[in-house]
Amino acid sequence: MSTVDSGMDSLFEAFIYETTSLLDQLDEIMLDSEKQKSLSEDNINEIFRIMHTTKGSAAMMGFNEISSLAHSVEDVFFLIREDPKRLDLVVDTLFDLVFQASDFLRQEIESIQNNGSDYAPADPTDLINKLEEQVAVMKGETPEAAPAAETTAPAAATSAEADKPSEDAKVQTAIPAGDDVVQIRVFFADDSQMENIRAFMLMTQLKDHCDFLDSDPEHPETDSSLCESIIKNGFVVILKPTYSLDDVIKVVENTSSIKSYEVLNSSDNAGEKNAEKSTAPAGKTSAGNSAQTPAAPAKPNVQSTGSSGKGVKQSLISVNQSKLDHLMDLVGELVTAESMVSSNKDLVGLKLDNFTKSFRELRKLTDELQDVVMSIRMVPLTGNFQKMNRIVRDMSKKLKKEVDLVTIGGDTEVDKTISDALTDPLMHMIRNSMDHAIETPEERVALGKPETGKVTLSARNVGGEILIDVADDGRGLDTEKIMEKARKNGILTKPENEYTDKEIFHLIMLPGFSTNENVTEYSGRGVGMDVVRKNVENVGGSISIHSETNKGTTFTLKIPLTLAIMDVMDVSLGTTTFSIPITSIKQSFKLTDDGQIMHNTDGTDMIMLRGECYPIIHLYEYFNIPTEVTDLKDGIVIQVESGSDVACIFADELLGEQQVVVKPFPPFFNKYNLKNSGLSGCTILGNGSISLILDIRSLLSSER
Amino acid sequence: MEENTIQATLEASDDLSNRFLTFGIDGAIYGISLTNVLEIIGIQDITSVPNVPQHVKGLINLRGKVVPVIDTRLKMGKPERDYDDLTCIVVIDIQDMHIGLIVDKVEEVISVDLEHAAVPPRTGIQEKQFLSSVVEHGNHTVLNIDLEKFMADDLRQY
Repeated sequence: MSTVDSGMDSLFEAFIYETTSLLDQLDEIMLDSEKQKSLSEDNINEIFRIMHTTKGSAAMMGFNEISSLAHSVEDVFFLIREDPKRLDLVVDTLFDLVFQASDFLRQEIESIQNNGSDYAPADPTDLINKLEEQVAVMKGETPEAAPAAETTAPAAATSAEADKPSEDAKVQTAIPAGDDVVQIRVFFADDSQMENIRAFMLMTQLKDHCDFLDSDPEHPETDSSLCESIIKNGFVVILKPTYSLDDVIKVVENTSSIKSYEVLNSSDNAGEKNAEKSTAPAGKTSAGNSAQTPAAPAKPNVQSTGSSGKGVKQSLISVNQSKLDHLMDLVGELVTAESMVSSNKDLVGLKLDNFTKSFRELRKLTDELQDVVMSIRMVPLTGNFQKMNRIVRDMSKKLKKEVDLVTIGGDTEVDKTISDALTDPLMHMIRNSMDHAIETPEERVALGKPETGKVTLSARNVGGEILIDVADDGRGLDTEKIMEKARKNGILTKPENEYTDKEIFHLIMLPGFSTNENVTEYSGRGVGMDVVRKNVENVGGSISIHSETNKGTTFTLKIPLTLAIMDVMDVSLGTTTFSIPITSIKQSFKLTDDGQIMHNTDGTDMIMLRGECYPIIHLYEYFNIPTEVTDLKDGIVIQVESGSDVACIFADELLGEQQVVVKPFPPFFNKYNLKNSGLSGCTILGNGSISLILDIRSLLSSER
Repeated sequence: MEENTIQATLEASDDLSNRFLTFGIDGAIYGISLTNVLEIIGIQDITSVPNVPQHVKGLINLRGKVVPVIDTRLKMGKPERDYDDLTCIVVIDIQDMHIGLIVDKVEEVISVDLEHAAVPPRTGIQEKQFLSSVVEHGNHTVLNIDLEKFMADDLRQY
């Protein structure tokens, strides 16, 4: 059953999506719990629920290996749930095992995703055995309750393992699986929602196993109002099995969200009773609900019933990202087209009251459309940070270094594309910090630092940009070593003594540079910071490095909030057009009085505005662009700010305000470092010409 | 049917490797492999970009895509000259980047028998030699450019 039916593609995507998010949840819980060295009752239930759901959906999709591993983990937590004290017996090994299981599941999901129908399942037997050992350890302590739990859990939960063939056998003997038409009444889990669709899915599943198939109510998928009757009376499937009833029952059992089912046989009432009796424990949700444990029959029932249906995803739909990308592109084109209309040459000098009014309406709508599309694509960085937690944990164990990861500002939101592009760079940097920067506990103690190292991952939103810091309190970058290495690799481009510390730090981001002599499992493959830099630059960001010997290193990633659309003010300078983001403009004015201007001896000018003194940046000088407007009184002065820095920009003329789609410079320009010289990208204007977008932040900092 | 098309495409791409687009710079005729050529467009407005070498003229808008352009004359160290009606931009694809080359005029597409083409000398003096072969075509000599070498400085990442 491991081969993949192409007709199940959408089910498949749903399965992968659901399981991945469940595993993310699992990791989060486990990491939290490991820190506290205990599992709260809620967490135990949650893990149980996650494993239960994973098991169910994997079995439904026919991935028995995943299903049986999930089942083993579920078993362990089933025991813990019954008596949380048992946790103490296995706590040391349990966390590692669960992490291993989660890794295994992740790998499998990935390989399913990559290989599709060629997917070859890996063998989880090892893990399952280890998990079973834990079960044995726990049971050894409480011999009375354990056997009961053991017999009920597998039978209740999964038939994939076929631990208890006797259950199935009973069904078979009860109803001789002949040519008779059989009716099965199915009840879906409480709160599972969309019962009619679930019923339809069940029908689809059964189709291949039956010669004849009908249902009551008929065609459940066409009418959502049928849900209520399905909840109340159950959903009756009338079928004639191709092979055996057993086969059909298996399919029913493996379908998610089914609370219970009973086999009815119109011609044989005796069979019905038998079937009911034997199927009761086989119902998915009745785990632990057998006669041996009457103490808590209701509780587990409720919990696991909600398992597959409950959750927060009900009002969410998952959308293929390429569709969102396409939507974004279209909106971008729409905005450009709109600008083309509004600034159309044919309209110049015409008085068009009605047109202007309608156009304003259109602009309002496109603005709103843009905002919505943008917000759809925004995701918090929490997901990225979460992954880092896991890396830090694993590496601390492997490298025998004690490291705390502190994350700040995980709720900062960025465009999905950017978030995706950040995962690898962050992972690299965290690995580097752990591997190269943080010292061993002994070294740290010798240096008078706390034994436990600290890696801080913080994100904050600063005026249309996201700043992400990856900081460690390790040994800091060794400038001499870096120089030596750079010399050896021949990547120096000017005399050595001309390099400033900052430039030396930046050497590590050149291709083919890796400071650590020993290639370790985690870093030092020679692809490191240059890949990081490339990835960050690809999304229009930049990296700066700050480091102090024995105090630590901080990498600061400057990332645009979104790749997309910006409100800008266009100014002309000679034949070139520059765009200034509206968010950084304080005011613009025409200078009338020379008295406000002060000339410094070094040739720079300052301007006095309302008692405050600001530097003037002559754009034509700064960018070395020829223009006829050099007298301050002829041009326009624009006061801009970035954070606490304020300055005035002098340009030829204001051209007007518009919305533009930001395009990064072609990679061809990467080496000229335009980002640090005050340009963040370019854009195509309504008339088809290209304008350069000023990056006020870097303009002001490089001016200083 | 489908196979035929694929075959045809294969043959066509096979064909391209020994076909060259020739263009004139300062009286001489140069050729570049047709495999690199995407399209030829007339000269259009170029937005200059500050803080880049002189031969990097700036950016053009190629149907919504921003493409950098290089003045081939300046790149070759020849004097600058005003653009006229014959001036063209040859858009090439190299290392997955689209780059426009400004040339004085575009001549034609020629087929070259590379096995019999003369190989330019490689000595210490011609360290920056960027020609891949020299061929006679009609009554003039065509100097074929190895674009990777010609653009090496521009393609370097740092």
